[in-house]
Amino acid sequence: MITYLLRRLAGVLGVLLAIAAVTFVIFYVLPADPAAAACGKTCSPERLEAVRHHLGLDLPLWRQFADFLTGIFTGRTLGTGQYALQCDFPCLGYSYENSLPVWDLLLDRLPVSASLAVGAAALWLVLGLGAGVVAALRKNTLTDRTLMVGAVAAASLPVYFTSVMLIYGVIRIAGILPYPEYHDFTAGPVTWAINLLLPWIALALLYAAMYARQSRGSMIEAMAEPYIRTARAKGMPERTVVVKHGLRSGMTPILTLFGMDLGGLLAGAVITESIFGLPGVGRLFYGALSTADQPVVLGVTLMAAFFIVVANLVVDLLYAVVDPRVRY
Amino acid sequence: MIQRTRIALATTLVTALALGATACGGATKNDGGKGQARNNPAAANDGKIVGGTPAKGGTLTVLSNQDFSHLDPARNWVMPIMDFGIRLLYRTLVTFKAEPGKSGSELVPDLATDLGTSSNGGRTWTFTLKKGLKYEDGSEITAQDIKYNVERSFAPDLTGGPDYAARLLANTKGYTGPLTGKHLDSIKTPDDHTIVFELNRPVAEFSSIATLPTFAPVPQKQEKGAQYDARPFSSGPYKIDSYARDKKLVLVRNPHWDASTDTVRKAYPDKFVVVMGLKGGQIDDRIIASGGADANAVQWSDMGAPSAAKVLPKPAVKERLVAELSGCTTMLQLNTSRAPFNDPKAREAVQYALDKEAVVTAGGGPALNEIATAYMPPSMTGGKQPDTLKIAPAGDPEKAKQLLKEAGKPSLDVTLTVSTGDKARAEAAQQGLGKAGIKVKIETVDPAAYNDAVGAIKSAPEMVFGGWCPDYPNGSSFLPFVFDGRFIKETGNMGNNSQFRDEATMKRLDEIAAMPDVAHADKAWLDLDAQILAKHPAVPMIIGRKPLLVGTNVAGAFGHPVWSGQLDYATIGLKDPKKNQG
Repeated sequence: MITYLLRRLAGVLGVLLAIAAVTFVIFYVLPADPAAAACGKTCSPERLEAVRHHLGLDLPLWRQFADFLTGIFTGRTLGTGQYALQCDFPCLGYSYENSLPVWDLLLDRLPVSASLAVGAAALWLVLGLGAGVVAALRKNTLTDRTLMVGAVAAASLPVYFTSVMLIYGVIRIAGILPYPEYHDFTAGPVTWAINLLLPWIALALLYAAMYARQSRGSMIEAMAEPYIRTARAKGMPERTVVVKHGLRSGMTPILTLFGMDLGGLLAGAVITESIFGLPGVGRLFYGALSTADQPVVLGVTLMAAFFIVVANLVVDLLYAVVDPRVRY
Repeated sequence: MIQRTRIALATTLVTALALGATACGGATKNDGGKGQARNNPAAANDGKIVGGTPAKGGTLTVLSNQDFSHLDPARNWVMPIMDFGIRLLYRTLVTFKAEPGKSGSELVPDLATDLGTSSNGGRTWTFTLKKGLKYEDGSEITAQDIKYNVERSFAPDLTGGPDYAARLLANTKGYTGPLTGKHLDSIKTPDDHTIVFELNRPVAEFSSIATLPTFAPVPQKQEKGAQYDARPFSSGPYKIDSYARDKKLVLVRNPHWDASTDTVRKAYPDKFVVVMGLKGGQIDDRIIASGGADANAVQWSDMGAPSAAKVLPKPAVKERLVAELSGCTTMLQLNTSRAPFNDPKAREAVQYALDKEAVVTAGGGPALNEIATAYMPPSMTGGKQPDTLKIAPAGDPEKAKQLLKEAGKPSLDVTLTVSTGDKARAEAAQQGLGKAGIKVKIETVDPAAYNDAVGAIKSAPEMVFGGWCPDYPNGSSFLPFVFDGRFIKETGNMGNNSQFRDEATMKRLDEIAAMPDVAHADKAWLDLDAQILAKHPAVPMIIGRKPLLVGTNVAGAFGHPVWSGQLDYATIGLKDPKKNQG
């Protein structure tokens, strides 16, 4: 178990390093010049050079990358003198745009994306698994077909369409909810939830549909296993058969899916956050991309990669819990 | 004014159709036209203050789709943000009157007692500060603090701000700002209330330049380097209570600001709250509806074109639309460095062929933009642009064909590169030019890459859409940037996208810049504008408007002509401050 964990963690680091390197190179070959973008409307060549030097962009690429990597572990100083920017461990650099440490920006935005992701995940698990299991148990009935047609419909609606329709219907026409503005959980759970309700629904609808179809399939497969027949033959209550034997084994592929999805969403839902005006990681990323703010793009990319690989790792470890046959 | 109304009249019908906004189907053509013109923001809200005079108190909310790029006065060089900073957070040596229309371009002393006095043939400018000016902590504003902030504009740590100090002050070579402990000799502060600028050439319009946020005070002991951006120290009527980047900015009153020292800022609301990161279309909808607290809200970003159809046909909503001219001219710039537009005749043909009326319609009609007939925007030409060429608004394709024939080029094949958002306008231009036998291929580029794409002069296309917004209403802030051949850069070329390198023009630019008398120079800039126009390096196309909606309880709202039509935050407030608070 321990060696397995260590091996996997080494793999995580390798993936992150590779992603950082690729992102670095991509920005290096892009025509956009962050120094010119930061400098201003009419930037004299001398000033442009001074700015480039200040941002460390006059150094060779390998050196910039090395500085970035060491900065993560030891912190680093940008600029010189009394007002130099001190970037402490774990230093992911400073935003070219607003001179704030990337790490602080990420920490600042993460609660928003996490609120969105966790709420939506809870919703889609309940809806998706519920619909999937019911459909599986009532296979080929009207209920099954209705649920699955609904799922296909929901899965084929792009999230921007659902979002805009929700805003139009619920906010503009019905006037039931206010236009969403993010409030921290600490400011009051009710305000927090009311403002996130529509984004949750928009995201959850999409995912729930996929989960419903996936869990229906797994459930049908699981319920056809011989041990289900055995359990039934032993006279177990149907409820125990479904939940303890059927659902548990049918969950394994869902768990894999869920780990990836949640990990990806924690690093920001660009479209949903933009449409609902939520200041999360996704919007940070989108803004940074349009201004060629490389340190921020790199930071978000690394964070996204981190969440996805770690979620994968957690999922693999959880297999051992869900499926007693799996041992590491 | 008469001329403008007539243009509005002539084009409103077209626009109303374009927007699907013909509400008055039963009315006769004439009545419909008149009614439209009277209620059209292009005509009606020009120079008008929306909502009357505000009462003191309450919270005014600003709904925004973005964060401020920079609030640090040394780094603030985005017109709408300059207005916001200068009117609410920091005062400058000189500023502009808080009045709509033409008088908004007039200078008034702010921190200084007058507009400054020049000596040494315009190479030395001296300002005296008013007594009793205070920062938010009650400490005194001194001349040294203004010098300090001007020096800050040189620091490579503090990017993005106006670079006029670097271009005009004497002996600045190699200077990289005060953060490393070095100071400039060309700014002298003989006492706490006197500041003297030594310039590298005579500058008659230095009073106008002293309106830039570069000339706001920053006390050295408040210096935080790049982090100052998040918490500029206030010398204006409000101070920052909290600022969560990209989320929310809250301004509260600065108790040490003394209204008796300030002739410009009215400071009506008790509080300003800027909510950021909202979706543009949703902001439009919220302010159109003006439900609950949204009645006290104004919008930061321009109203979107799709919302025009929800606003223009409804008089009650249209009344709340401020749409001042943005003070920027959009031009069709012709690449004079190579064929076919190295031939003035070919350029002149484009000048005649362009159907500006169609371009205006494509850009949302007269509510959102109007036809340009000269380069310098109306804020610099006494409120109305001269029309020296007298070409019909829809163009004169016959004359253009004639000119092309004379040039020996009966047909032209050219490329027009525009940013993606300008595609509709480009297509309108393409159609007009096509009538005269000028075949235009349109290439669209993502806005983020646009300047890089058209700024590489070797690969630059034959035509681009280029705009220029002056930093202050004076020819020196416009014509040299757009038509001085010495400003052309190999890459990242901006402004002079025509690559216009004309000896006579450059000589005249220098002569006017050296004129000691502003009024004299103003006249000369105007003449030069017409002289350059007669050489056709670019076709003045449109002057944009800045459409901004305000809530039903908002008062004192007008677009300031200098800061690209942004709401003047000096005078805005609420009709009834007790309404919908909390």
